[in-house]
Amino acid sequence: MASDKKYWRSVEELNQDSEIVKALQQKEFVTEIPTDEFLGDKKALESTKTTRRDFLKYVGFSTAAATLAACEGPVVKSIPYVIQPEEVVPGKANYYATTMADGFDFANVLVKTREGRPIKIERNDLSEDGGSVNARVQASVLSLYDMKRLGGPLVDGQDVSWTDFDAAVAAKLDAMAGKDVVLLTNTLASPSTYKLISEFIEKYPNVRHVMYDSVSSSHALDAFQQKYGVRGLPSYDFSKADTIVSVGADFLGDWQGGGYARSYAKGRVPKNGKMSRHIHFEANMTLTGAKADKRVPATPSQQLQIIKALTGGSTSGLPEAMVNAVKNARKQLGKAGKRGLLVTGLPDVEAQTLALEYNAMSDAMDVEAPRLTRQASNAAVTAVVNGVIGGSVKGLITVGVDPVYSLPYGQEFAEAYKNLEFSLAFSMKKDATASLAQMVAATPHYLESWGDVQMKKGTFSLMQPTIRPLFNTRQFQDCLLRWNGSSQKYYDYLKDTWTTSILDGTGWNKALHDGFVVSNREVSMGQTVVNSEMESSSANGALASLQDNSGGYELTLYTKTGLGDGQQANNPWLQELPDPITRTTWDNYLTISAADAEDLGLENKYVSNGAMNGSYVNVSLGAVTVENVPVIIQPGQAKGSVGLALGYGKTAAIQEEMQTGLNAYPLYQNFSDVQNVTIEKVGGVHKFASVQLQSTMVGRSHDIIRETTLEIFNTKDKEFFNEDPSVEYDGQHISIRDEKADIWSPFDSSIGHHFNMSIDLNACTGCGACVIACHAENNVPVVGKDEVRKFRDMHWLRIDRYYSAADTFEEEIEMYENLGAMETYKKVETPSWENPQVAFQPVMCQHCNHAPCETVCPVAATSHGRQGQNHMAYNRCVGTRYCANNCPYKVRRFNWFNYSENDEFDYNMNNDLGRMVLNPDVVVRSRGVMEKCSLCIQMTQKTILEAKREGRPIKDGEFQTACSNACDTGAIVFGDVNDEDSEIVKLKDGDRRYHLLENVGTKPNVMYQMLIKNTSED
Amino acid sequence: MSSHYEAPIREPLVLGEKSYHDVSVEIAAPVLGRANKSWWIVFTIALIAFLWGLGCIIYTVVTGIGVWGLDKTIGWAWDITNFVWWVGIGHAGTLISAVLLLFRQKWRMAINRSAEAMTIFAVVQAGLFPLIHMGRPWLAYWVLPIPNQFGSLWVNFNSPLLWDVFAISTYLSISLVFWWTGLMPDFAMIRDRAVKPFQKKIYGILSFGWTGRAKDWQRFEEVELVLAGLATPLVLSVHTIVSFDFATSVVPGWHSTVFPPYFVAGAVFSGFAMVQTLLIIMRKVLHLEDYITVLHIEYMNKVILVTGGIVGVAYITEYFMVWYSGVPYENYVYLSFGAATGPYWWAFWALIICNMVFPLTLWVKKWRRNIIWTFIVSIIINIGMWFERFNIIAVDLSKDRLPSSWTLFEPTFVDIGTFIGTIGFFFVLFLLYARTFPVVSQAMLKTIMKSSAEQYKQLRAEHGNHTPHINEHTENPPATIIHNKPAARVETGDTAVKQVKIDSLMGSLGVFDPATQEMDDLKLISGVGPVMEQKLHQLGIYTFDQVSRMTDREYDLLDEIVPDFPGRAKRDDWAGQARILKNKKK
Repeated sequence: MASDKKYWRSVEELNQDSEIVKALQQKEFVTEIPTDEFLGDKKALESTKTTRRDFLKYVGFSTAAATLAACEGPVVKSIPYVIQPEEVVPGKANYYATTMADGFDFANVLVKTREGRPIKIERNDLSEDGGSVNARVQASVLSLYDMKRLGGPLVDGQDVSWTDFDAAVAAKLDAMAGKDVVLLTNTLASPSTYKLISEFIEKYPNVRHVMYDSVSSSHALDAFQQKYGVRGLPSYDFSKADTIVSVGADFLGDWQGGGYARSYAKGRVPKNGKMSRHIHFEANMTLTGAKADKRVPATPSQQLQIIKALTGGSTSGLPEAMVNAVKNARKQLGKAGKRGLLVTGLPDVEAQTLALEYNAMSDAMDVEAPRLTRQASNAAVTAVVNGVIGGSVKGLITVGVDPVYSLPYGQEFAEAYKNLEFSLAFSMKKDATASLAQMVAATPHYLESWGDVQMKKGTFSLMQPTIRPLFNTRQFQDCLLRWNGSSQKYYDYLKDTWTTSILDGTGWNKALHDGFVVSNREVSMGQTVVNSEMESSSANGALASLQDNSGGYELTLYTKTGLGDGQQANNPWLQELPDPITRTTWDNYLTISAADAEDLGLENKYVSNGAMNGSYVNVSLGAVTVENVPVIIQPGQAKGSVGLALGYGKTAAIQEEMQTGLNAYPLYQNFSDVQNVTIEKVGGVHKFASVQLQSTMVGRSHDIIRETTLEIFNTKDKEFFNEDPSVEYDGQHISIRDEKADIWSPFDSSIGHHFNMSIDLNACTGCGACVIACHAENNVPVVGKDEVRKFRDMHWLRIDRYYSAADTFEEEIEMYENLGAMETYKKVETPSWENPQVAFQPVMCQHCNHAPCETVCPVAATSHGRQGQNHMAYNRCVGTRYCANNCPYKVRRFNWFNYSENDEFDYNMNNDLGRMVLNPDVVVRSRGVMEKCSLCIQMTQKTILEAKREGRPIKDGEFQTACSNACDTGAIVFGDVNDEDSEIVKLKDGDRRYHLLENVGTKPNVMYQMLIKNTSED
Repeated sequence: MSSHYEAPIREPLVLGEKSYHDVSVEIAAPVLGRANKSWWIVFTIALIAFLWGLGCIIYTVVTGIGVWGLDKTIGWAWDITNFVWWVGIGHAGTLISAVLLLFRQKWRMAINRSAEAMTIFAVVQAGLFPLIHMGRPWLAYWVLPIPNQFGSLWVNFNSPLLWDVFAISTYLSISLVFWWTGLMPDFAMIRDRAVKPFQKKIYGILSFGWTGRAKDWQRFEEVELVLAGLATPLVLSVHTIVSFDFATSVVPGWHSTVFPPYFVAGAVFSGFAMVQTLLIIMRKVLHLEDYITVLHIEYMNKVILVTGGIVGVAYITEYFMVWYSGVPYENYVYLSFGAATGPYWWAFWALIICNMVFPLTLWVKKWRRNIIWTFIVSIIINIGMWFERFNIIAVDLSKDRLPSSWTLFEPTFVDIGTFIGTIGFFFVLFLLYARTFPVVSQAMLKTIMKSSAEQYKQLRAEHGNHTPHINEHTENPPATIIHNKPAARVETGDTAVKQVKIDSLMGSLGVFDPATQEMDDLKLISGVGPVMEQKLHQLGIYTFDQVSRMTDREYDLLDEIVPDFPGRAKRDDWAGQARILKNKKK
């Protein structure tokens, strides 16, 4: 409302006809400015002091000043809301439940959005069985902001509008009538989409739908289908198994879709004196093998025999040690009875069938609600590929798959694909297939889409958009609706499908809120595979032929924690995520055993800056050769076997920095991840970027990773297996936790909150989801391969991986203590190559109560907080790096350069799109300052403030950090130790609790729960 | 006067039987004269190195510390190595000027000026590194306790880095004041001798109105003493505090109680080595052999031996403690079995060989007095001491407690360039100093000249120990020819009798007046050789005219005064010859 106030300028205004007032209304000044007086007086003008030179100075100055003033300042583009959306409150995060389903990773997730932007993926706590929110799922939010995404549909490489595109497709589809057109999709597992596809096929009966998984589980699917009649994969509950025997099944990795870590970890944390026993036979060193109680390196051909032997076959031909292991495993499996579980990852229908049959009576396997996240049949895909190459298939519509990149037939298929009459690719990017396709439909990211997924029979998940599409994209389902002649939006179609055939009493809104529903209703999942096809697919040839081929090496192809099948290869977070086993970033490589490496003259050398260089080999399989594969000598790799990761070597629509590694798909012949290859050393040196190169603890495991056996843990006192370090005081040994052992006065932590974090080394599988979650939450920069090679990664949270120098860590300590007088430490510094024990340890800032970093900072930029955190004031930091030197845990990270808005570091922080993922609650650090884990203080403060606003006490479990939140297995627990009933207090008082490097006396607020191994052999 | 016993081991501190004037002239010569070619060559090289280093520093500040070879584990390497190395070098100067002053060690006088200059220049280099090693050097002033508007924002007095700030700045300021105080009389001397008005003015300002009054000298001595008293604890404290950077930390290998004394000894050790390196060159280039003698070099070598011994003991102690403690983390500290056989074995052995083995050769007197060998050893020690700091800093950090973070260090061209740049900067400063400052503290030196004069020994050699030591007559020849540097001082008798004879002789021959007369070449007279000529000169006989006046009486007097050639003058008829020559000349 306008103000009526009147301001008086002078009393003159009271006078109605005042001349002055009138004059003022007209003019600025009451009286004329006497310009004539000034300019007319020639004499006065001449006598002024301004000389010609002064005049020029004035002119010069004013020109310069005017020029400077005219310079454009930095323009910050920001558009304010004209009408603020109801649900958006600036500064407050909104969470939406949705589902990721890209054909490889399926997971129920929570999406954190700020001011309408998705900035982080979190676990959906409500969902018990909704896939695993692994590192890739965590990182998928950054793939939303990928600069290489397609901006709109393309026809013949030209940008077109969607209307034109629809017309072109319709014309083409009509023209193709009667000709064989294949709709090649990834495993969609989406009831609505399947329904839509069947409608589409009704309209265009010449189109047939084939599903294609770039990394196939076809053998297991075939076995399951043969036995149970449903194309699916059994779902397992590892917590129900007392004895787990795995033959080449990396079930903590991506085996059969992954996601078993949680139930596995449940059984692995000793409870009431019990934990499961895990025996593992494998060729590559995997996460699962690393966690096993007993790991036996065995080549794939040996594995085949092992699984036969375990299910009643003979052990003849296996090495003696292995025979014993197999016998023991068999004995223990038998003893466990219904609580035994045998799983295998062999690409062999027979082996899979054996395992299925064995588990038939096991409590841990569920065949009633099979997993539906893998559907592809190798035979069907092979038929399509042969059709394309042979010319019988005239048209190909690909959805979410990149066959030109991921098919083993590479060039041959690409040529044939180019010559197809009709090729249409639904893709987020102009990938290898899309760049050859006649038409490309730009699809949105899952965070911009609607959708549904039935991951497991009876569990239906919903996908909802969390942001308006960033580009001119349209999802596959909307296109189908349009082409089917429907005017419906996919949202309406989806809702219709759900309300009519899925929702079982629960409301749509609740389903959308929860992200999933459990329903008993049967829904057609469009399984088109028939048995006849399957039989011809029993492509066990590869595995069978291994046994009689003695000249070569048995290659096991695997997917890495970071890149998976390679869909997110342009994601710098994932590229820089160290592989949990090799701790190497930005690469794939051939893992080989030390013995084989020596035979071939391959080496890994450490150069003068500490980084590793490796030799190259050519890997050949028949006519296919993958050239210049770098080699990493992998402790625990079965002799005679080698490993290579799929998903690397992408070049299409990939930023140059992220075109890393080599494409291993050409070796994925017959979609079998086991192959017989020959290896030949070639010249050259590969520069690896690893974040950890000292692999052993050099006999320090008592201080770093404490470990004992279940037997000792059950029978002995805490003092025996988890003794506090002691110091001498007045001639007596006192615990380091004793007050007298302390020369410092303690902080008062009794008032308010005091945060502690516990990390259970038994439950931690090293999966790396926490590392990515930390990246996303704290705006941790990506530094690139060269900088990682210089040991300058910025991860606030890292997962150290140690191998034992002897067979076990216990023996390593012995070996260290009995080192001869003139023996060098090389012996304990080198991991045991054959079969070391492996341990993972997540390490972040330990938030010491007596922090060595705090005392040494000259400007007090790092100091202790009231809630136990060690704070870092970036603004105050001058960058002496003294704190980092003095940190025994080496968790402080220095900004060597500017990592944001710097072309030298062209990752997500260097473009407007990528910066949208930044968390506005956390500052982006400038160069020259130190940074480190803050225990996600922005999250704890938010919890405190919210509770305060709502006037309620904080419940246990409300306090979370990004890593504790992301941890699927519950290994990371965070909480307030001043809350007496909290879980963290129980953990703090537990028998397994210890502190990392406790003898330094830093009194950390992060504790570890020691590792317990179930070593009992009977 | 009774007999004077001279200890046979005492050697003179100033050679060449200088007069006060000689000293003034020789010390002022480099300042007043022109630089020679070799100075320009060396200066150019140093300047190029300096500019290159400056470029590296600018590149670092503009781009980020990432241009160095550091990483997440090794946060300090060459930067702090160079810092400690230069600070260590800076220790010798103050030790020489302050501690030795308090201990009344006169030999310090020839070398203290340059040693102090070296100290200051070295501390300047040292001070650069803590500044540029910061991630944000433009905020370096935050380490100073400057009142600010942020209220509680203050420096952290717990941090050894802050102690460093105070220690180094105190040290630099005290050293500067001490240096300048000592320079005042010498600046005054140059001011008085300078011809160019500009030079006169500059040195006038620098000499702070020094007049040479007794009061000036009294105050000068008092201030020197007070400053020496202030500076002496600094010699011990500065490197002690630098060692606290490491000793108070928790890094294995740094956390060591032996560090303070060990660092101080190491600092003096390396400082003296650097003094040797510099002065051995300087005495040659500036012709100061008479002032900086083998004796000085030997004395300094002895200091090197002592401090090197302390350092050696510290090494052995460290090594022993590593073994004795049995702590696994100590296996990889810089003086341990792990270091000796690990990837940094070369740094370990460089340290042992350079700092422990080579200095041992100085126990042999012959080598200790060998200038070339001393020079070589001093350079080896400088290298060894650099490695010592590199070992402590980089090697200890490289294998810290968590093996997962173990890594190695490799310098980049910027690391190397910056280090070379500081060496260049140091030499630029030192070379400029050598041309603009009196490099030997001549005023001081003049106070010890008598005690070292060769003349008394010669006197005794001639006249026995009972010869009185006081010469009533100053024997200075006329001023204009003094620069001809007489080979020997006048050795005419000291007795009154002799003087009477001389007076009598000169009375009849006439006094030579340098203002109006010209000197003749007396050697043209047959029978007068160079020696005789000199003797005649010393008596005051310079011209043919004087000689031509000689008669039998004068011949006899001459024989009595100069007994070396009895009857020679008469025999050769010097007077006659002189008359002929005198006429010829006309």
